[in-house]
Amino acid sequence: MKNSLANRLWKIITSPSRMMLTVGAVIIMISLVRQYTGISDITSPGAAGATIRFTIPILMAGLGGLWAERSGVINIGLEGMMILGTWFGAWFGFLYGPWVGIFAGAIGGALAGILHAILTVRIGIDQAVSGLAINLLGMGTARFLSGVFFLGKGGDINISPQVNSIGTFTVPGLSPFLTEIGSKHILVISDVAGVCAGFITKINWASLVLILALPLTAWILWKTRFGLRMRFCGENPVAAESLGVNVYRTRYIALAVSGALAGLGGAYISVISTGNYLEGQTAGRGYIGLAAVIFGNWTPAGVLAGSVLFGLTDALRVRQSTSVHALLLVVITLALAYGVSKLRKKDWKGFIIGVVIGGVVLAYYLINKVVPDEFVTFFPNLTTILVLAFLSQRLRPPAMAGAPYRKGEESS
Amino acid sequence: MQRKHLGRLGMVASIAAASLTLSVVAVSSQATAAPKKLVGIAFDLGGKEQPGFNQLAYIGFKTFLKTHPGWSEKDLQGNAADTDASRAQRLQLLISAGANPIVVVGYSYENALKEVAAKNPNVKFSIVDDNIDGAANVEGLLFHAEEGSYLVGMAAALTTKTKSVGFIGGVNIPLIQAFEAGFKAGVAKVDPTIKYQSAYASNPPDFSGFNAPDKGHESALGMYQNGADVVYSAAGSTGQGAHKAAFELGKGHWSIGVDADEALYASNAKYKSAILTSALKNVDVGVASFLSDVVANKFTAGAHFFDASNGGVGFTTTGNHLSAAIIAKLNTIKYSLASGAIVVPTDPSKVKLPQG
Repeated sequence: MKNSLANRLWKIITSPSRMMLTVGAVIIMISLVRQYTGISDITSPGAAGATIRFTIPILMAGLGGLWAERSGVINIGLEGMMILGTWFGAWFGFLYGPWVGIFAGAIGGALAGILHAILTVRIGIDQAVSGLAINLLGMGTARFLSGVFFLGKGGDINISPQVNSIGTFTVPGLSPFLTEIGSKHILVISDVAGVCAGFITKINWASLVLILALPLTAWILWKTRFGLRMRFCGENPVAAESLGVNVYRTRYIALAVSGALAGLGGAYISVISTGNYLEGQTAGRGYIGLAAVIFGNWTPAGVLAGSVLFGLTDALRVRQSTSVHALLLVVITLALAYGVSKLRKKDWKGFIIGVVIGGVVLAYYLINKVVPDEFVTFFPNLTTILVLAFLSQRLRPPAMAGAPYRKGEESS
Repeated sequence: MQRKHLGRLGMVASIAAASLTLSVVAVSSQATAAPKKLVGIAFDLGGKEQPGFNQLAYIGFKTFLKTHPGWSEKDLQGNAADTDASRAQRLQLLISAGANPIVVVGYSYENALKEVAAKNPNVKFSIVDDNIDGAANVEGLLFHAEEGSYLVGMAAALTTKTKSVGFIGGVNIPLIQAFEAGFKAGVAKVDPTIKYQSAYASNPPDFSGFNAPDKGHESALGMYQNGADVVYSAAGSTGQGAHKAAFELGKGHWSIGVDADEALYASNAKYKSAILTSALKNVDVGVASFLSDVVANKFTAGAHFFDASNGGVGFTTTGNHLSAAIIAKLNTIKYSLASGAIVVPTDPSKVKLPQG
């Protein structure tokens, strides 16, 4: 039963025509909810823009995790690498301008990535231990450096001086046109236009550049010789070595890139989102990036989906708490639709499950005016756990990620 | 036989150990008893020279030092990785340096102080924004922050052109809810038809909401885009993001700061043209009063309240964004607050405003 549900979900997700249908149905549903509740922020350009800004740091961390794990090394140190990215980004951004800052953030992260490689690949320390060490090191180093460099420069032990901002771009003509349509409250059309307007209005140039890391990663890992070898190292390093792949060097490169990506995410937070370094501002997003990797089944598109899930939840929640309450209606409809579809096949159990879930959520929707913030914040985590629980048969992590590997030895 | 021998040895060892501990205790109590004239202060997360909560406490602290020659100071700063254990350790460090009295900044020290204060009954403590029930050597410095929030709530309501305002809280805890309640009540006092939005950056036990300017930025952008033109942030560094949002949207969008005069923060230098006013919580007044009380032997344990009547709360006029009429109005309200003619609620659900 559980397996068939998983199978079915998988088929829906994988078949392109069905996916289009599902996406279409969800869009129509969200549009109806928006129309019915009058809460127009759900599909507003502003919410779309906020989602982009919340998604990018998580996406960068997630891609960093993807590079590391695909090469066979688990990278728990993403958080520490992000912290170094925020620090280097802000300090060099303050000295030489924001673009240099973002580049420096990547360097800072890459340095920590190389350290992780030395510790795990060369010395052979346990990968989780090394990752945790890097998180602590990142935190401590940033505080120490702040004390050395920021004091007397308009900063303090936990905050850097201000960094100049990077400009934004808006597609002329099209953006106001779509925003106009978006504000008309026409079913479906306004919603699609509103979201699209968000994608082309006041987008930071840095966002655009960083997003390129996604197609670039997909291309390098699946279309180049290096990518093939790197994934090979993650699946079976012994075989890779025997076929002449330099596993150590490949993993060094992969971890340097992994750290650089996490550092870029960190630099984005400090230089673009905030405008200065602030101690603790990454707030665990490195770990969330790791969750996005698992959610996304170790694929770039999946990592994007996971990051958007976390980013969207945050965006809707902090902009207007009523949005999330309205989206409960979508959940209710989905649950009831599931139940009814089961009824047709005389699957009473499925029918009851669908109707009960729908009913409970509906009752909750009617009784309460808001969804508790605690639940909303936890929602993406819950989804990740559900994915792990129900689709674990389908998840395909790199076979040897996390396993120690010594050159010239048989795999254990 | 062997066992018996061992047993006796063990007894001797334990007696030796006990006497050793006793002597250590004796030595340490001697050290604290020595009149060293040292005042200690333990800061919360954030720099002591950066305008804000810590700096205000530090100002009160330095005022005391200036007026009481012969006293010296020792201060220790908090960090983002702090735990109850590391905070307790920090307090213990101050005590072993001979500091007495000690100022503890922020309720995050609550558990640490509970433990340390019980162990050191001779040391006098004060804790900002909290009170430890039953501790005979701790003075709680509590602020009726809702009164300051009430004042800026009125300022917001008198300033808004779109008849819509917003509130951003750092973490959804009663302490911050009191800010929201005061703000809401101030708005409702001027015009109960003004639309109102509110959001909290994080929920306990996640306290990152005081340190998340990116969330403050998006939250404020959302409120402005949904019609508000004045947003009040009681959210620590998160408020910086709200100021940034108001600044980016330009003329006609206002942001209100909290605790100290946020228009003077180095990190807000770029955005100060968008900061309408700040709700003041004069931590310095509380800290200075605690220290001089201790020196004058007037220390009393328990909660001490600071509000409009004793200069504990207020509002700022930096940048002259508030009109003379509004300032005059707020000052008269301040007197009513001080006299008790207006009582401000601390529960935001008690005040009704239309959802914006």
